Amino acid sequence: MVNKVMPFSYAELEKFYEGMVRRARSRGIPCAITSGMACVAFGVSGATKDCDLLCAPDWAGELLDLLGHLRLGGHLPGYRGNLTAPLDARWFRGGWTSHFEWAPAGSGAYLDIFGVAPRGSSPWVAEIRGFYAGLHTVAEMKRTQRDKDWPFVTALGAKMLQAGDERGWLHIFDENLLRTFGAAVKEPEKLCLRRPLLELAATNDPRLRAALRAEIEYWHELDRARLGIYEKAVRPYMVAVRKAGLSPAAGLVEQHGLRVKCAERHLPLNPLHDYGIPRMILEAREALAQIIQPAAMAWLPNVSEHFNLSAP
Amino acid sequence: MKKPGQSKKGLPPAVRRKLRQAIYDFHVRAFGEEMARVNHLPLAARRRYVAEMVDHATQKGVKFDKPALGVTP
Repeated sequence: MVNKVMPFSYAELEKFYEGMVRRARSRGIPCAITSGMACVAFGVSGATKDCDLLCAPDWAGELLDLLGHLRLGGHLPGYRGNLTAPLDARWFRGGWTSHFEWAPAGSGAYLDIFGVAPRGSSPWVAEIRGFYAGLHTVAEMKRTQRDKDWPFVTALGAKMLQAGDERGWLHIFDENLLRTFGAAVKEPEKLCLRRPLLELAATNDPRLRAALRAEIEYWHELDRARLGIYEKAVRPYMVAVRKAGLSPAAGLVEQHGLRVKCAERHLPLNPLHDYGIPRMILEAREALAQIIQPAAMAWLPNVSEHFNLSAP
Repeated sequence: MKKPGQSKKGLPPAVRRKLRQAIYDFHVRAFGEEMARVNHLPLAARRRYVAEMVDHATQKGVKFDKPALGVTP
């Protein structure tokens, strides 16, 4: 007879993850749910089931301790996959992610934890909304190389505008919205410094479409470049974890100890910093120049501020 | 206390009304009529809808887990 695993329902998981955040905060751990589940809460719904959690890097050890006691359906969590970095402040500060799952396999309870919000231009802890990271943080995190994420960015930006947060203009990537409302920007100088194409939006300039396309492609290239750096850096560590061949039945403490041992020898703390953020940005611009109109390059934003938090 | 980025002076009411409609139209274009409607439901109803949608997809064999890459896209 085949035992079919009954996956946890969405409502069960949502309740469980919110309870986890509540317990973590009761221990003083700064953390917030982000990505898909946060989007649902903010009124930009999508089909998602796993939980992405931001946790202040210095509190990684405390969070690990909490996870070690956090049962779901009677099971304790374990690390997921050989690429998963240990939940340890040293690697957390450098932008690595720790992936966890609750047994049995197929239960659908997946948790990804990271300390640095990808592309975050300001500290996420300053913008927490209830159980969730703020709209600004979530919108910046959604600027990935996946096309499906971009309508979410605009929708979150629109929510910010409706709430009176002018930074919402930084996240509007819909040409129609920009053309119609670009002239309504309250502090154009300040925002245009961060996002030059708002100047084109304000005057309904015909060059807006090309500039907008270029900006989106720029973020795609930046995401590709960043992921490529981490993927290359993680290989020796992955091999070491695989070779160690820890029993799947090992407890979280034992799994963690082994990963730390492998990471200390094989996992660089901050590969993005080692590679050079200006170098990565330059390479993304060079890749972009191959596919967009040269004139549109003039309207690209200065993206350095989106990678400053990754610096040690 | 003023939140980061919050402007004291919001948009004029007429612009806000027009913006609200334009945002709804954007949701229809980007997510389709059904999800645009869901996105504008009150939180509890929206969560119920998403829960039913995800649970139904799970029952039909849809997997929602992302690969564990050691880094978040």
